[in-house]
Amino acid sequence: MTEMTDMRTMYGETLIKIGEENPNIVVVGADTTDSLKTKPFGKKFPNRFFNVGIAEANLVSVAAGLAIEGKIPFASTYAIFLPGRCVDQIRNAIAYPSRDDKKGLNVKMVVSHGGLSVGADGGSHQQIEDIAIMRVIPNIRVMIPSDTVTVSKLVWIMSQTYGPFYMRMARSKTPVIHSEAQDFEIGKGIVLRDGSDCTIAACGITVHMALEAADALKQEGTSCRVLDLFSIKPIDSALIEKAARETGGIVTCEEHNIMAGFGSAVAEVVTETYPVPMRRIGVQDKFGESARDNEIPLLFAKHGITSINIAKSVKDIRSKSR
Amino acid sequence: MGLNYYHIIKQVRETRKLVIKGTSTAGSGHPGGSFSMAEIMGCIFFKFLRYDPKNPLWEDRDRFVLSKGHASPGLFSNLAVAGYFDKSEMETLRKFESRLQGHPDFKCPGVEFCGGSLGIGLSFSIGMALAARIDGKPHRIYTIIGDGESDEGQVWEASMTASKYKLDNLTVFLDRNFIQQDDYTEKVMPLDEELVSDDISEMWKDAARWKIGDKWRSFGWNVLEIDGHRVEQIIKAIQSAQQTKGTPTIIVSRTIKGKSVEHMEDNPKWHGVAPDPKIAPIIDLELDCQFLISPSIIAGDMTNLENEVKRAAHGRADFIHLDVMDGQFVPNTTFDHTKIKELRPITQIPFDAHLMINEPVKHVRNYVDAGSDIITVHAEVCDESSFGEIHDILRGNEVSVGLAMNPETELPSWAEKFIPDLDQIIVMSVVPGKSGQKYIESTHGKVQRISKILSDKKFTGFIEADGGIDLSNIGSCFLDGARVFVGGSAIIGQKDVRATMSEFRKRVLSARRKLLIQKAYELGGIDLVNKWIDLHEVGKKKTDLIQIAKEAGLE
Repeated sequence: MTEMTDMRTMYGETLIKIGEENPNIVVVGADTTDSLKTKPFGKKFPNRFFNVGIAEANLVSVAAGLAIEGKIPFASTYAIFLPGRCVDQIRNAIAYPSRDDKKGLNVKMVVSHGGLSVGADGGSHQQIEDIAIMRVIPNIRVMIPSDTVTVSKLVWIMSQTYGPFYMRMARSKTPVIHSEAQDFEIGKGIVLRDGSDCTIAACGITVHMALEAADALKQEGTSCRVLDLFSIKPIDSALIEKAARETGGIVTCEEHNIMAGFGSAVAEVVTETYPVPMRRIGVQDKFGESARDNEIPLLFAKHGITSINIAKSVKDIRSKSR
Repeated sequence: MGLNYYHIIKQVRETRKLVIKGTSTAGSGHPGGSFSMAEIMGCIFFKFLRYDPKNPLWEDRDRFVLSKGHASPGLFSNLAVAGYFDKSEMETLRKFESRLQGHPDFKCPGVEFCGGSLGIGLSFSIGMALAARIDGKPHRIYTIIGDGESDEGQVWEASMTASKYKLDNLTVFLDRNFIQQDDYTEKVMPLDEELVSDDISEMWKDAARWKIGDKWRSFGWNVLEIDGHRVEQIIKAIQSAQQTKGTPTIIVSRTIKGKSVEHMEDNPKWHGVAPDPKIAPIIDLELDCQFLISPSIIAGDMTNLENEVKRAAHGRADFIHLDVMDGQFVPNTTFDHTKIKELRPITQIPFDAHLMINEPVKHVRNYVDAGSDIITVHAEVCDESSFGEIHDILRGNEVSVGLAMNPETELPSWAEKFIPDLDQIIVMSVVPGKSGQKYIESTHGKVQRISKILSDKKFTGFIEADGGIDLSNIGSCFLDGARVFVGGSAIIGQKDVRATMSEFRKRVLSARRKLLIQKAYELGGIDLVNKWIDLHEVGKKKTDLIQIAKEAGLE
């Protein structure tokens, strides 16, 4: 049984650890600090914790002002309220301002409740456009961790790497994918399974689905390479090109609109480096709906985002390429 | 410490000229909103803000955030005058690969916030203010927001946040010019009350209709409401903000869009249009022709000078002229510095102290301490050394420096070295000593002559006409080159000081219009005269100008 852990809890705990070491770490919230688990940081460092209320435009802009003064603000709320609601402030107050060779301001936008897996809150709260929004803004780096190990490592890395970041976490607990010993580097993907027949590239909670699909295909004698591309921008072009060259086909999977999202980012690399057949699993340009926790698999199934569909797509690619 | 009045208004004049230079060269940009905030910017940059142009990111500098980023020419011109870059760079405004982008950008040294998208700057300033607090730094954050910008909901999100965190290191100006891109603010989205008619001056007449200060007050801010073109009010408001603990301060500044250029003033069209390069030299001259009225209180009731100061203040005087006579340099005696000290608390209006005393170098410190903002001493009782000493004392105390000449006196040769730095030169048109004398006609020629000499010697200050100035001669005194007018019995001696002063201004304005029409004619003949007159769309300016042109035979 895979261990299930909570990304937000890991986020909050990691913030306290880095906050102890680095007095420039500050945390800004917008009435969701309890949910994002940043409240304990505020208890520990009351002078470095600001709750601006339900005012997300203000949240990111205050964070920008803190950043220009040398602070390292972590600005957090739910995904639906940050990229979608504040694209102007993110673009103009965080990404655009560049002094000398510093590109953008040093704000870390960390959200939870990304994608369909939000569940019960419904389509209004399921942010399926954030990868698209954030990755088209120059200077912003986009991260989607697949588990709590990644969350913890990325928070450390972001705190030590200059520039604006967007990191999307899932609402519900997620299986642990990586070992504590795993190295993480911005712009580098991780090969979780090696394989030669096809590649499955995923990010966030769909990494687990990719592994399930690979396991199932292995039973049938198909060897899949599985990539955790947690760094969507910058993306690991070399790793993708190598996978295309060595496995001859790529299936991507994301809980996001397939337009301009993760699959598109992979496809951009594939078409320009080593074109091979691709399939993109994701939300087919429509909105989600409510689903209680035990119904979330049904919601994903309705949108075709399942390990079975991943496996089908792998087979489809392989049958076409023969 | 004085207001440093002339220093500030001279810088403001130069920044306005640079805005015209930049926008007219670029062919686009926002002069209107740059001019409405010009005096505010001047006071912040040249009185309060601590900065080092050689080290723009000096850690302990004060921060200035222009949230209404479209007024970037107004910011860039101040940065240029402050020495961040050469003034000639204003000509690169909005051009490809320029540091002076269409909106403020870090490409330009001294810019603290990349503005453009409205409603963000106040939140950004809050971040800066919080950071200063975390670090225990005493520097301050000054922010200007626009009234049109206040339509943005984020302004009010920020307003609550600054109040919650009691950010007393944050001072915000609301540039309340009543005009946004489409129309008057009170028509597009009323901040005070909806404007029913088309006349914005309606809003100015009734202070009970101003609600925007109440909005901020209810959000928990310390709210000060001022005339945003009066330097002394801006300065006192900032000083008051600095002393306010536990709340952020907003200074609601009633301003005029396009202020100082008649055809731009209060005309919504000049929100985002650049002046025609052919018109630019006329605007430059108009900016050089700003004028001030300084009523002399000794023309009133000498037994109740307090009341005379009040009357002058009520009449909207630019300065209060204080004639100090010692009974030696002149036969009469009026009062000395002790009286000035007593009068000082009555008003914020600058005190223009004219010392008709012997050995001014011995006494000048007393007049500084008494609260004078401008001190003028007589050439007849100074030499290079004593005037140099006086000059240094005044500059060191941010008091403006004046030199006066009696009717029989010419500009002394020792004074030449001081000319570029002098703020004010008084050319007496009566023999000093008592009020109520007649203007000596030969003074016209003398002022014209001196004016020419001064401009050749790079004088940037103001000539003050003093003695027998009244409605009959003020226009010609202006055309001679005088820009400040002392009114004795002709103003203070009148029952209705405000109406009289308003009449004085009208006369000068009329003379100025005549001068500008002549300038237009010199530059481009009747065509340019007509073109320039046509720009005056608001009110009845155009009708008046056509009349003046007719009388001058230039129509």
